Amino acid sequence: MPQQPTPTPPKKKKVRVPRVVNGVETIVEIEVDDVAGPGWGPNDKHRLLNHRLTRVDGPLKATGSAHYTYDVRLPGMLYGRVLRCPHAHARVKSFDSSKAATMPGVKAIIQAPLTEFRFAGSPVAAVAATTPELAQDAARAIVVEYEVLPHVVRAQDAIKPESPEVLPRNDAKPNERNLRLAQKNGDPQKVEAALAGCDAIVDAEYYTPRIHHACLETHGMVVDYSGGKSATIYATTQGTFTIPDDAAKELGLSTSDVTATVQHMGGGFGSKFGIGIEGMLACRLSKEAKAPVKLMLTRSDEFLMAGNRSGSWQKIKAGVKSDGTLAALQAVQYRLGGVGQGSQAGQPYAVYRAGESYREVYALQTNEDSSVAMRAPGHPQASFAMESLLDELAYKIGMDPVAFRKKNMRDEVYHRQLDRGAREINWARRNAKAGAGVGPLKRGMGCGAGTWGGGGNNQCKVDVTVGRDGSVIVAVGTQDLGTGTRTFTRAIVAEELGLQINDVVEKIGNSRLGGANSSGGSTTAASLSPSVKDAAIKTRLALAEKLAPLLGNAKLEEIAFNAGNVSGGGKTLAWKQACASLPSAGITAHGEWREDLQGRGVHGVCFAEVEVDVETGQIRPIKMVQVQDGGLPLNRLTMESQLNGGMIQSLGMALWEGRVMDRDLGVQLNPGFGDYKLPGSLEMPEFVPIIDDDDKREVVIGIAEACIIPSLGALANAVFNACGVRVRELPITPDKILMGMMSERRTA
Amino acid sequence: MKAFEWLSPTTVSEAVNALKSVPAPKDPDDGARPIAGGQDLLTTMKDYITRPTRVVNLKSIRGLDRILPDGKGGLRIGALVTLAQLADHPVVRRNFRGLSEAAHSIATPQIRNLGTVGGNLCQRPRCWYFRLEEVVCLKKGGTECYAATGENKYHAIFGGGPSYIVHPSDLAPMLVALGASVSVAGSTGKRVIQLEKFFTLPAEGNLRRENVLKNDEIITDIHVPASRFAAHSTYLKFKERESMDFALVSVAAAVAMGPNKTIAGARLVLGGVAPIPWRVPKAESFLVGKTMNNDVLTNAARIALAGAEPLEKNGYKIPLAQALVRRALAKAGGVNA
Repeated sequence: MPQQPTPTPPKKKKVRVPRVVNGVETIVEIEVDDVAGPGWGPNDKHRLLNHRLTRVDGPLKATGSAHYTYDVRLPGMLYGRVLRCPHAHARVKSFDSSKAATMPGVKAIIQAPLTEFRFAGSPVAAVAATTPELAQDAARAIVVEYEVLPHVVRAQDAIKPESPEVLPRNDAKPNERNLRLAQKNGDPQKVEAALAGCDAIVDAEYYTPRIHHACLETHGMVVDYSGGKSATIYATTQGTFTIPDDAAKELGLSTSDVTATVQHMGGGFGSKFGIGIEGMLACRLSKEAKAPVKLMLTRSDEFLMAGNRSGSWQKIKAGVKSDGTLAALQAVQYRLGGVGQGSQAGQPYAVYRAGESYREVYALQTNEDSSVAMRAPGHPQASFAMESLLDELAYKIGMDPVAFRKKNMRDEVYHRQLDRGAREINWARRNAKAGAGVGPLKRGMGCGAGTWGGGGNNQCKVDVTVGRDGSVIVAVGTQDLGTGTRTFTRAIVAEELGLQINDVVEKIGNSRLGGANSSGGSTTAASLSPSVKDAAIKTRLALAEKLAPLLGNAKLEEIAFNAGNVSGGGKTLAWKQACASLPSAGITAHGEWREDLQGRGVHGVCFAEVEVDVETGQIRPIKMVQVQDGGLPLNRLTMESQLNGGMIQSLGMALWEGRVMDRDLGVQLNPGFGDYKLPGSLEMPEFVPIIDDDDKREVVIGIAEACIIPSLGALANAVFNACGVRVRELPITPDKILMGMMSERRTA
Repeated sequence: MKAFEWLSPTTVSEAVNALKSVPAPKDPDDGARPIAGGQDLLTTMKDYITRPTRVVNLKSIRGLDRILPDGKGGLRIGALVTLAQLADHPVVRRNFRGLSEAAHSIATPQIRNLGTVGGNLCQRPRCWYFRLEEVVCLKKGGTECYAATGENKYHAIFGGGPSYIVHPSDLAPMLVALGASVSVAGSTGKRVIQLEKFFTLPAEGNLRRENVLKNDEIITDIHVPASRFAAHSTYLKFKERESMDFALVSVAAAVAMGPNKTIAGARLVLGGVAPIPWRVPKAESFLVGKTMNNDVLTNAARIALAGAEPLEKNGYKIPLAQALVRRALAKAGGVNA
């Protein structure tokens, strides 16, 4: 064991940190060492970090040699398929799988542990067979007789007193029906009084549909279990360590007998924690068939039963003074989470202050699959409504939307970010009057702002091993969702040891390695990187101690690790030469989380320019600019990619995506990539991701969620600025623009 | 996907026999189906919308994948010609510009490389009720067209009832505008059908099908005659999403120009608005003798959309189609408007 360089035992202190469970952030108190130790140093003094590093797994992914769960094929492996309930609300009267059981290749059939189904798409049974096609045919051959019960799939219907009940009524609150009060804040009387003194008022309703994560890799897993005492689970998950416990329960094993492995995964965005119902079914099939089972959801399964982003319905009334002060705001907010609770940040959205405010937040339930966490749960919805509302108020009092925002922001960091974004989009070119200009093609600009935490937590345990051959391995069980975890993990160690990024190898994605948190709430970087840094520093000091006798007994802190060399006491050793003097097992140092190496709280603004064809309603995004702070960017290229990804994902949500339900049938009409329209390459505008380097904090903060929040408002406001049609319901599609143009003409 | 028998005949008559020799099923979507590029058929099979017991592979038949001159300035396009082949063919690009544009507007490069002209004309509707396995709608032997009062944003504003699908083909409106006909082979011999008469309205034809083809008939080729319209033809397709989508509305326009920029004749066919390619003869005859100017274009567009009967959620198709008619005519006529 390397001797610890710390001279005195550390004092302990208590700190409050965010912890994310299923993407929902809560604050918990933990105890940490009350010593800082060496920090990251100034953000502009790094050799690898805060540079543009191409991702280390890029070649594997580009050449197809990265193996995803979907690619796993084991000897004797069976394929699982799910039978879904076609009704929005039904009870099983009878279930007959006798015919399916005799079909060729069928090895196991299990019934889901429910008899009443509350949304169309709910899994009823699962089949394992020797090919996916045979499994699908067999699933369809299961005869289920249903008692069809009343359903409701639209918020506007679910809120009515006569609506069918989605979940059993709470006897204590008979009047709530499908509404569940979540929160009341503020004093309604004070808001009324403040509204009376306002110079302009907007009273409007905003609506965002439920949207889908659309992970390229669907949910699912391969359960490698053939009876016996142990199992390996290949999972596509955001939490390596969320798998073994649940899987062990289903398989009747103990947690320590189950290994989860997650080498590459095709996106989660908040939807992949735990084994899920599909994992439960896969485990049960495997246990029953005593053979490995691969159960990956089909694309339609994915749409219908793998969760979605909560919809929102927000009724807001707000007033301003003629000087631009937002004086009063009242909101009734419905979280549309299907049979779940939904999510929505409270109004006024946290970036802004309102003199007096009052809000009521409800979960309004419908017979639809439960919403789950999705990239910044609840924030884009609230931000869209707030930014649209602010824009409407700014137009009413004839104030520039940027100036209007600045006047009402809680934090002045936004001012410099707004100035930067405005300069980049050339805000000065914007038409002050909406819909101005000749010809059918109209340009418009809009902006919005967001906020997120992004702090880490104390769960990551990292080991760095330096071998006698000069190899460096950094090991931790964490997972790389495609967010560049592998790359920064290597880079931190390489920088500390004066090596190149390819001199270090990372071992991740395995529950046998050191513990790590789930990747939710933008917590991965701020949880993992301090532990990696801590391990790297300790490795450096341990090496220095071993090498000091060869370096003229130089003091440890004077031994330098640079450019592949170790030097001190006037002598220099090449890295390999230095390592050759290590013990045969090399040396290993263990790193733990350090609170002082991470921070929380980021801002971020987005500007968008669009072109609207007022004769066809076509909206062409021209340019989007995201200005984002985030403390120390571990990898500038990854951070820019995150900003681009945030803009792209919210572009989809703003202009194309939405779950379409048939009211009478209670089914989703677009459970596929044909009718659920994600933007493609031809829809992409020019993206300008700007890292706000004026943020001098020398700490790591997660930004993956922050950068999806402000763009919805920016795009919606740009559309209004272009054509004068205010669309308060996403997605903003050509039909809404055309209908809006028609009603404008009628009014005029 | 239901298991099926796969046959690869090498002649048209073998193919027809292979289709005919399967006993007629109770449900027409359980019968034998011909496959060419498979770009639509396979998706319907994977979703159990069609469940053929036998699939007859037409790609093993030689000679149906060529574009040949008809000797009179027109073209004979084999049914197995791919959409990419059609879009890129030099004669099509030069003399039938609208047809090349229509072919190019379809789907993605991958699909255009496999999808065929015959398959494009015979593809099934995109209606999302029709495409959901769980929903047994009118077109699948049920009793109700759910789009009539349901989610009908993408549905018909002309010719609807009792079903409100729109025909998804991009080639069809353009080929109708160019006066094309299809040659069909079946067990009772060959017949030639004007493309305009090939497609059937739900109220007039077999509700389970979108055209006059019998189960044992296949298209062998499409004839596009030389005409005074072909040189000034264009196809404008409006998609909600440029990267691969079906038309919300499309317009196939072809004009014959007379002296002094007057219009000697016009063909105007709308896509995405009706269960068949929707020709608008009143607008066509209005244009004859006129000069292209904004008033004329506006009036032609108004006449073209007169009588539209929008459903609850597709009223926007009227102004959209009007804008596209104006633009398509202006483009075909080579004027700025």
